[in-house]
Amino acid sequence: MLNRFLSVMAGLLAAALLFSSSSFAQNGSKGWPDPKENRQPIAEKDKKPAPRHSIAGLWANTREGNQAKGAQLHPNDGKPENQPPYTPYGLQLYKSHKALEGFDAVGPAYNNDPRVKCEPLGLPRYNHYDLGIRVYQGENSVAILYQYDNRWRIIWTDERPLPKLLDGGVEINGDYHEQRWMGYSVGQWIDDTTLEVQTVGTMPEDRVWLDNTGRPISDQVHITETFRRMDNDTMEWSEVLDDPKIFTKPWQTMKITMRLQDPRVDILTRYCSPKEIETYNKAYGDSVSAK
Amino acid sequence: MRNKLIVLFVLAVGLMLSIPLSAHHGAAAIYGSQTLTLKGTVKAWLWSNPHCLLTVDVKGEDGKVVEWVAETQAPSTVYPMGFRKDSFKPGDQVTVIVQHAKNERPNGRLLSAVLADGTKIGNAPGEGGRGGRGGDEAY
Repeated sequence: MLNRFLSVMAGLLAAALLFSSSSFAQNGSKGWPDPKENRQPIAEKDKKPAPRHSIAGLWANTREGNQAKGAQLHPNDGKPENQPPYTPYGLQLYKSHKALEGFDAVGPAYNNDPRVKCEPLGLPRYNHYDLGIRVYQGENSVAILYQYDNRWRIIWTDERPLPKLLDGGVEINGDYHEQRWMGYSVGQWIDDTTLEVQTVGTMPEDRVWLDNTGRPISDQVHITETFRRMDNDTMEWSEVLDDPKIFTKPWQTMKITMRLQDPRVDILTRYCSPKEIETYNKAYGDSVSAK
Repeated sequence: MRNKLIVLFVLAVGLMLSIPLSAHHGAAAIYGSQTLTLKGTVKAWLWSNPHCLLTVDVKGEDGKVVEWVAETQAPSTVYPMGFRKDSFKPGDQVTVIVQHAKNERPNGRLLSAVLADGTKIGNAPGEGGRGGRGGDEAY
Protein backbone atom coordinates (compact mmCIF):
# COMPACT_ATOMS: atom_id res chain seq x y z
CA MET A 1 0.00 0.00 0.00
CA LEU A 2 2.79 2.35 1.01
CA ASN A 3 4.78 1.44 -2.07
CA ARG A 4 1.77 2.11 -4.24
CA PHE A 5 1.24 5.49 -2.64
CA LEU A 6 4.90 6.42 -3.02
CA SER A 7 4.85 5.33 -6.65
CA VAL A 8 1.82 7.46 -7.37
CA MET A 9 3.33 10.51 -5.69
CA ALA A 10 6.72 10.03 -7.35
CA GLY A 11 4.99 9.72 -10.72
CA LEU A 12 3.00 12.88 -10.15
CA LEU A 13 6.08 14.79 -9.09
CA ALA A 14 8.09 13.59 -12.07
CA ALA A 15 5.26 14.46 -14.44
CA ALA A 16 4.92 17.90 -12.93
CA LEU A 17 8.60 18.59 -13.36
CA LEU A 18 8.63 17.16 -16.86
CA PHE A 19 5.64 19.12 -18.08
CA SER A 20 6.30 22.33 -16.25
CA SER A 21 5.55 25.14 -18.66
CA SER A 22 5.89 28.01 -16.28
CA SER A 23 7.26 31.32 -17.38
CA PHE A 24 9.22 31.40 -14.12
CA ALA A 25 11.07 28.16 -14.58
CA GLN A 26 14.27 29.34 -16.23
CA ASN A 27 14.99 32.69 -14.67
CA GLY A 28 18.52 31.82 -13.65
CA SER A 29 18.08 32.48 -9.94
CA LYS A 30 19.65 29.99 -7.58
CA GLY A 31 18.46 31.51 -4.35
CA TRP A 32 15.29 31.07 -2.37
CA PRO A 33 12.61 33.12 -4.13
CA ASP A 34 10.73 35.64 -2.08
CA PRO A 35 7.47 33.94 -1.12
CA LYS A 36 5.38 36.81 -2.41
CA GLU A 37 1.79 35.95 -2.91
CA ASN A 38 -0.79 37.84 -4.85
CA ARG A 39 1.23 38.87 -7.89
CA GLN A 40 -0.14 41.81 -9.72
CA PRO A 41 -2.47 41.06 -12.60
CA ILE A 42 -0.70 40.48 -15.89
CA ALA A 43 -1.00 43.37 -18.33
CA GLU A 44 -3.17 42.57 -21.31
CA LYS A 45 -0.23 42.81 -23.71
CA ASP A 46 1.80 40.36 -21.64
CA LYS A 47 -0.86 37.70 -21.30
CA LYS A 48 -0.09 34.27 -22.67
CA PRO A 49 -2.76 31.79 -23.70
CA ALA A 50 -3.72 29.02 -21.35
CA PRO A 51 -1.94 25.75 -22.06
CA ARG A 52 -4.17 22.89 -23.18
CA HIS A 53 -5.39 20.54 -20.49
CA SER A 54 -3.14 21.80 -17.73
CA ILE A 55 -3.75 23.40 -14.37
CA ALA A 56 -0.33 22.48 -12.99
CA GLY A 57 1.48 25.08 -10.94
CA LEU A 58 1.54 27.01 -7.71
CA TRP A 59 -1.63 29.06 -7.39
CA ALA A 60 -2.55 31.80 -4.95
CA ASN A 61 -5.87 33.29 -4.20
CA THR A 62 -5.68 36.88 -5.40
CA ARG A 63 -8.25 38.75 -3.43
CA GLU A 64 -10.71 36.88 -1.29
CA GLY A 65 -8.45 36.01 1.62
CA ASN A 66 -9.27 32.71 3.19
CA GLN A 67 -13.04 33.07 3.24
CA ALA A 68 -12.97 33.56 6.99
CA LYS A 69 -16.49 34.95 6.90
CA GLY A 70 -17.83 31.90 5.16
CA ALA A 71 -18.09 30.57 1.65
CA GLN A 72 -16.85 33.29 -0.67
CA LEU A 73 -19.99 33.96 -2.70
CA HIS A 74 -22.23 33.94 0.36
CA PRO A 75 -20.45 35.29 3.45
CA ASN A 76 -22.24 34.47 6.68
CA ASP A 77 -23.20 38.07 7.46
CA GLY A 78 -26.79 37.56 8.58
CA LYS A 79 -28.26 38.88 5.34
CA PRO A 80 -31.12 36.73 4.06
CA GLU A 81 -29.72 36.66 0.53
CA ASN A 82 -26.59 34.95 1.83
CA GLN A 83 -28.40 32.32 3.86
CA PRO A 84 -27.93 28.87 2.26
CA PRO A 85 -31.16 27.04 1.35
CA TYR A 86 -31.19 24.90 4.47
CA THR A 87 -33.45 21.93 5.01
CA PRO A 88 -34.95 21.86 8.53
CA TYR A 89 -32.25 19.38 9.51
CA GLY A 90 -29.55 21.55 7.95
CA LEU A 91 -30.74 24.59 9.87
CA GLN A 92 -30.89 22.60 13.10
CA LEU A 93 -27.32 21.48 12.55
CA TYR A 94 -26.17 25.00 11.78
CA LYS A 95 -27.67 26.27 15.03
CA SER A 96 -25.81 23.59 16.97
CA HIS A 97 -22.46 24.75 15.61
CA LYS A 98 -20.58 27.37 17.61
CA ALA A 99 -18.22 29.01 15.17
CA LEU A 100 -15.32 31.41 15.61
CA GLU A 101 -16.27 33.38 12.53
CA GLY A 102 -19.43 34.80 11.03
CA PHE A 103 -22.06 37.22 12.30
CA ASP A 104 -23.00 34.97 15.21
CA ALA A 105 -19.46 33.95 16.15
CA VAL A 106 -18.52 32.99 19.69
CA GLY A 107 -15.28 33.47 21.61
CA PRO A 108 -12.51 30.86 21.58
CA ALA A 109 -13.66 29.25 24.81
CA TYR A 110 -17.13 28.47 23.51
CA ASN A 111 -16.58 27.14 20.04
CA ASN A 112 -17.11 23.56 18.87
CA ASP A 113 -15.31 23.83 15.56
CA PRO A 114 -13.62 20.49 14.77
CA ARG A 115 -10.71 22.45 13.28
CA VAL A 116 -9.78 23.70 16.72
CA LYS A 117 -9.18 20.10 17.77
CA CYS A 118 -6.92 19.80 14.74
CA GLU A 119 -9.34 17.49 12.99
CA PRO A 120 -8.86 17.42 9.21
CA LEU A 121 -11.12 19.95 7.53
CA GLY A 122 -12.25 17.53 4.85
CA LEU A 123 -13.64 18.40 1.48
CA PRO A 124 -15.14 20.85 0.63
CA ARG A 125 -13.90 22.86 3.62
CA TYR A 126 -10.29 22.75 2.43
CA ASN A 127 -11.56 24.75 -0.54
CA HIS A 128 -12.75 27.39 1.89
CA TYR A 129 -9.72 27.74 4.08
CA ASP A 130 -6.35 29.39 3.59
CA LEU A 131 -6.34 28.93 -0.13
CA GLY A 132 -2.99 28.44 -1.66
CA ILE A 133 -2.55 25.27 -3.66
CA ARG A 134 0.15 23.50 -5.57
CA VAL A 135 -1.13 21.38 -8.43
CA TYR A 136 0.82 18.48 -9.89
CA GLN A 137 -0.55 16.86 -12.96
CA GLY A 138 0.21 13.48 -14.48
CA GLU A 139 -1.19 11.35 -17.25
CA ASN A 140 -3.95 9.82 -15.14
CA SER A 141 -4.50 12.22 -12.32
CA VAL A 142 -4.21 15.67 -10.86
CA ALA A 143 -2.89 16.13 -7.33
CA ILE A 144 -3.82 19.19 -5.31
CA LEU A 145 -1.62 20.05 -2.34
CA TYR A 146 -3.35 22.37 0.11
CA GLN A 147 -1.36 24.89 2.08
CA TYR A 148 -3.23 24.43 5.34
CA ASP A 149 -2.04 21.44 7.33
CA ASN A 150 -0.21 20.14 4.23
CA ARG A 151 -3.12 18.04 3.04
CA TRP A 152 -3.50 16.63 -0.46
CA ARG A 153 -6.10 15.05 -2.71
CA ILE A 154 -6.11 13.14 -5.96
CA ILE A 155 -8.47 13.79 -8.86
CA TRP A 156 -8.54 10.92 -11.32
CA THR A 157 -8.67 12.07 -14.95
CA ASP A 158 -8.46 8.68 -16.67
CA GLU A 159 -12.18 8.47 -17.44
CA ARG A 160 -13.03 6.22 -14.53
CA PRO A 161 -16.63 6.71 -13.41
CA LEU A 162 -17.68 8.56 -10.30
CA PRO A 163 -18.36 6.01 -7.52
CA LYS A 164 -21.97 5.39 -6.58
CA LEU A 165 -22.81 7.21 -3.38
CA LEU A 166 -24.12 4.98 -0.58
CA ASP A 167 -25.18 5.74 2.96
CA GLY A 168 -21.84 5.94 4.76
CA GLY A 169 -19.57 5.20 1.84
CA VAL A 170 -19.41 4.56 -1.88
CA GLU A 171 -19.69 1.60 -4.22
CA ILE A 172 -16.85 0.91 -6.63
CA ASN A 173 -16.98 -2.12 -8.93
CA GLY A 174 -19.70 -3.60 -6.73
CA ASP A 175 -17.67 -3.29 -3.54
CA TYR A 176 -18.21 -1.01 -0.58
CA HIS A 177 -15.51 1.61 0.10
CA GLU A 178 -15.51 3.71 3.22
CA GLN A 179 -16.09 7.44 3.18
CA ARG A 180 -13.00 9.60 3.54
CA TRP A 181 -11.90 13.15 4.27
CA MET A 182 -11.27 14.12 0.63
CA GLY A 183 -13.92 11.84 -0.83
CA TYR A 184 -13.51 10.28 -4.27
CA SER A 185 -12.86 12.69 -7.13
CA VAL A 186 -12.95 12.22 -10.88
CA GLY A 187 -12.22 14.91 -13.42
CA GLN A 188 -12.99 15.45 -17.05
CA TRP A 189 -11.74 18.08 -19.48
CA ILE A 190 -14.89 19.64 -20.87
CA ASP A 191 -12.89 21.85 -23.22
CA ASP A 192 -9.22 22.67 -23.78
CA THR A 193 -8.88 24.71 -20.63
CA THR A 194 -11.63 23.63 -18.23
CA LEU A 195 -11.44 20.67 -15.91
CA GLU A 196 -14.71 19.68 -14.28
CA VAL A 197 -14.37 17.63 -11.13
CA GLN A 198 -17.04 15.59 -9.37
CA THR A 199 -16.61 14.38 -5.80
CA VAL A 200 -18.67 12.11 -3.54
CA GLY A 201 -17.98 9.91 -0.53
CA THR A 202 -16.90 12.61 1.93
CA MET A 203 -17.18 12.57 5.72
CA PRO A 204 -20.46 12.86 7.64
CA GLU A 205 -21.87 15.98 9.23
CA ASP A 206 -20.72 15.14 12.74
CA ARG A 207 -17.08 15.25 11.57
CA VAL A 208 -16.84 18.19 9.19
CA TRP A 209 -18.17 21.68 8.55
CA LEU A 210 -18.59 23.46 5.25
CA ASP A 211 -16.83 26.64 6.31
CA ASN A 212 -15.41 28.66 9.20
CA THR A 213 -18.80 30.00 10.18
CA GLY A 214 -20.26 26.65 11.16
CA ARG A 215 -22.35 25.95 8.11
CA PRO A 216 -22.99 22.22 7.92
CA ILE A 217 -22.29 19.73 5.14
CA SER A 218 -23.12 16.03 5.02
CA ASP A 219 -21.69 12.88 3.50
CA GLN A 220 -24.51 12.94 0.94
CA VAL A 221 -23.01 15.96 -0.80
CA HIS A 222 -22.12 15.85 -4.48
CA ILE A 223 -19.47 18.47 -5.15
CA THR A 224 -18.91 19.89 -8.61
CA GLU A 225 -15.82 21.99 -9.14
CA THR A 226 -14.57 23.65 -12.30
CA PHE A 227 -10.99 24.75 -12.80
CA ARG A 228 -11.00 27.10 -15.76
CA ARG A 229 -7.61 28.29 -16.97
CA MET A 230 -8.45 31.71 -18.35
CA ASP A 231 -4.92 32.43 -19.53
CA ASN A 232 -1.49 31.14 -18.61
CA ASP A 233 -1.41 33.03 -15.31
CA THR A 234 -5.04 33.06 -14.27
CA MET A 235 -7.43 30.33 -13.22
CA GLU A 236 -11.02 30.50 -12.04
CA TRP A 237 -12.07 27.90 -9.48
CA SER A 238 -15.74 27.41 -8.78
CA GLU A 239 -17.71 25.05 -6.60
CA VAL A 240 -21.36 23.94 -6.49
CA LEU A 241 -22.78 21.81 -3.68
CA ASP A 242 -25.72 19.46 -4.05
CA ASP A 243 -26.48 18.04 -0.61
CA PRO A 244 -30.16 17.10 -0.27
CA LYS A 245 -29.69 16.23 3.38
CA ILE A 246 -28.60 19.77 4.28
CA PHE A 247 -29.81 22.01 1.45
CA THR A 248 -33.09 22.10 -0.44
CA LYS A 249 -31.34 22.81 -3.75
CA PRO A 250 -27.82 23.02 -5.20
CA TRP A 251 -26.00 26.30 -4.63
CA GLN A 252 -22.74 27.85 -5.71
CA THR A 253 -20.34 28.56 -2.89
CA MET A 254 -17.35 30.10 -4.62
CA LYS A 255 -15.92 31.41 -7.85
CA ILE A 256 -12.39 32.42 -7.05
CA THR A 257 -9.67 33.80 -9.26
CA MET A 258 -6.30 32.21 -8.66
CA ARG A 259 -3.04 33.60 -9.96
CA LEU A 260 -0.04 31.55 -11.00
CA GLN A 261 3.00 31.99 -8.78
CA ASP A 262 6.69 31.30 -9.21
CA PRO A 263 6.79 27.48 -8.87
CA ARG A 264 10.12 27.63 -7.05
CA VAL A 265 8.56 29.49 -4.15
CA ASP A 266 8.60 27.58 -0.89
CA ILE A 267 5.18 28.65 0.30
CA LEU A 268 4.14 29.17 3.85
CA THR A 269 2.65 26.01 5.28
CA ARG A 270 0.59 25.65 8.37
CA TYR A 271 0.17 22.78 10.74
CA CYS A 272 -2.41 22.50 13.44
CA SER A 273 -0.74 21.65 16.73
CA PRO A 274 -2.97 20.59 19.64
CA LYS A 275 -0.22 21.62 22.06
CA GLU A 276 0.03 25.12 20.61
CA ILE A 277 -3.71 25.57 20.74
CA GLU A 278 -3.88 24.36 24.32
CA THR A 279 -1.14 26.78 25.31
CA TYR A 280 -2.87 29.63 23.53
CA ASN A 281 -6.24 28.95 25.13
CA LYS A 282 -4.76 28.61 28.59
CA ALA A 283 -2.77 31.81 28.29
CA TYR A 284 -5.27 33.88 26.38
CA GLY A 285 -8.24 32.36 24.57
CA ASP A 286 -10.18 31.36 27.67
CA SER A 287 -9.73 34.77 29.27
CA VAL A 288 -10.51 36.91 26.26
CA SER A 289 -13.74 35.08 25.58
CA ALA A 290 -14.96 34.92 29.17
CA LYS A 291 -18.29 36.61 29.78
CA MET B 1 -1.00 60.51 28.84
CA ARG B 2 -0.55 60.88 32.56
CA ASN B 3 1.93 59.17 34.80
CA LYS B 4 3.08 55.84 33.44
CA LEU B 5 -0.36 54.57 33.33
CA ILE B 6 -3.03 53.63 30.92
CA VAL B 7 -4.25 56.28 28.58
CA LEU B 8 -7.52 55.43 27.01
CA PHE B 9 -8.79 56.87 23.80
CA VAL B 10 -11.45 55.82 21.45
CA LEU B 11 -10.85 55.83 17.75
CA ALA B 12 -13.35 55.61 14.99
CA VAL B 13 -14.28 52.12 13.95
CA GLY B 14 -13.23 53.04 10.48
CA LEU B 15 -9.65 53.34 11.59
CA MET B 16 -9.74 49.86 12.97
CA LEU B 17 -10.81 48.50 9.64
CA SER B 18 -7.45 49.37 8.19
CA ILE B 19 -5.87 46.73 10.39
CA PRO B 20 -6.02 43.15 9.16
CA LEU B 21 -8.58 41.36 11.25
CA SER B 22 -7.41 38.46 13.26
CA ALA B 23 -7.42 35.39 13.35
CA HIS B 24 -8.64 31.94 14.10
CA HIS B 25 -11.45 33.69 15.91
CA GLY B 26 -13.65 36.48 14.64
CA ALA B 27 -12.37 39.84 15.84
CA ALA B 28 -15.89 41.24 16.08
CA ALA B 29 -16.86 38.60 18.62
CA ILE B 30 -14.00 39.46 20.96
CA TYR B 31 -12.76 43.00 20.42
CA GLY B 32 -14.54 46.30 20.54
CA SER B 33 -13.43 49.49 18.83
CA GLN B 34 -11.54 50.84 21.85
CA THR B 35 -7.79 51.05 21.70
CA LEU B 36 -5.62 51.48 24.76
CA THR B 37 -2.09 52.71 25.13
CA LEU B 38 -0.32 50.79 27.85
CA LYS B 39 3.05 51.51 29.41
CA GLY B 40 4.63 48.82 31.45
CA THR B 41 7.25 46.17 32.04
CA VAL B 42 7.51 43.11 29.87
CA LYS B 43 6.93 39.90 31.75
CA ALA B 44 6.95 37.41 28.88
CA TRP B 45 6.92 37.21 25.09
CA LEU B 46 5.70 33.97 23.55
CA TRP B 47 6.76 33.68 19.91
CA SER B 48 4.41 30.94 18.83
CA ASN B 49 1.60 29.77 16.62
CA PRO B 50 -1.25 30.28 16.31
CA HIS B 51 -0.57 33.69 17.89
CA CYS B 52 2.26 35.42 19.68
CA LEU B 53 1.45 36.57 23.20
CA LEU B 54 2.96 39.52 25.05
CA THR B 55 2.53 39.76 28.80
CA VAL B 56 3.11 43.19 30.33
CA ASP B 57 2.82 44.36 33.94
CA VAL B 58 1.07 47.72 33.97
CA LYS B 59 0.85 49.82 37.11
CA GLY B 60 -2.48 51.55 37.58
CA GLU B 61 -3.18 54.95 39.13
CA ASP B 62 -4.00 53.18 42.36
CA GLY B 63 -0.53 51.70 42.39
CA LYS B 64 -1.75 48.20 41.70
CA VAL B 65 0.02 46.21 39.02
CA VAL B 66 -2.23 44.56 36.46
CA GLU B 67 -0.96 41.82 34.19
CA TRP B 68 -2.06 42.43 30.59
CA VAL B 69 -1.82 39.78 27.89
CA ALA B 70 -2.04 40.83 24.25
CA GLU B 71 -2.01 38.71 21.12
CA THR B 72 -0.61 39.27 17.68
CA GLN B 73 -1.08 37.12 14.65
CA ALA B 74 1.30 34.25 13.88
CA PRO B 75 5.07 34.83 13.67
CA SER B 76 5.13 34.51 9.90
CA THR B 77 2.48 37.21 9.63
CA VAL B 78 3.91 39.74 12.06
CA TYR B 79 7.57 39.30 11.09
CA PRO B 80 7.21 41.69 8.12
CA MET B 81 5.70 44.24 10.53
CA GLY B 82 8.91 44.27 12.51
CA PHE B 83 8.15 41.75 15.25
CA ARG B 84 10.94 39.33 16.09
CA LYS B 85 11.47 36.44 18.45
CA ASP B 86 13.64 38.69 20.60
CA SER B 87 11.62 41.89 20.26
CA PHE B 88 10.70 41.81 23.95
CA LYS B 89 12.67 40.62 26.94
CA PRO B 90 11.51 40.35 30.55
CA GLY B 91 12.15 43.65 32.28
CA ASP B 92 11.95 45.80 29.13
CA GLN B 93 9.98 49.01 29.41
CA VAL B 94 7.52 49.20 26.54
CA THR B 95 4.57 51.16 25.29
CA VAL B 96 1.99 49.16 23.40
CA ILE B 97 -1.26 49.95 21.65
CA VAL B 98 -3.90 47.27 21.94
CA GLN B 99 -7.47 46.81 20.83
CA HIS B 100 -9.25 46.09 24.08
CA ALA B 101 -11.26 42.92 24.68
CA LYS B 102 -15.01 43.42 24.78
CA ASN B 103 -15.25 41.75 28.16
CA GLU B 104 -12.91 44.44 29.52
CA ARG B 105 -10.48 41.95 30.93
CA PRO B 106 -6.80 42.93 30.63
CA ASN B 107 -6.52 41.40 27.19
CA GLY B 108 -6.23 42.90 23.75
CA ARG B 109 -4.99 42.61 20.25
CA LEU B 110 -1.50 44.02 20.00
CA LEU B 111 -1.41 46.58 17.21
CA SER B 112 1.94 48.25 17.72
CA ALA B 113 4.71 48.70 20.24
CA VAL B 114 7.49 51.11 21.06
CA LEU B 115 10.43 49.12 22.37
CA ALA B 116 12.86 50.11 25.09
CA ASP B 117 15.29 51.57 22.54
CA GLY B 118 12.58 53.63 20.87
CA THR B 119 12.08 51.30 17.93
CA LYS B 120 8.50 51.15 16.77
CA ILE B 121 7.03 47.93 15.42
CA GLY B 122 3.61 46.94 14.18
CA ASN B 123 0.86 49.12 12.82
CA ALA B 124 -0.94 51.69 14.91
CA PRO B 125 -4.56 52.44 14.01
CA GLY B 126 -4.83 54.48 10.86
CA GLU B 127 -1.36 53.63 9.62
CA GLY B 128 -2.54 50.82 7.42
CA GLY B 129 -0.98 47.44 7.00
CA ARG B 130 2.60 46.76 6.04
CA GLY B 131 3.71 43.39 4.84
CA GLY B 132 2.33 40.18 6.13
CA ARG B 133 -0.42 38.19 4.65
CA GLY B 134 -3.27 40.08 6.20
CA GLY B 135 -6.55 38.33 6.34
CA ASP B 136 -6.95 35.51 8.74
CA GLU B 137 -4.74 33.07 10.43
CA ALA B 138 -4.99 29.37 10.73
CA TYR B 139 -5.68 28.22 14.27
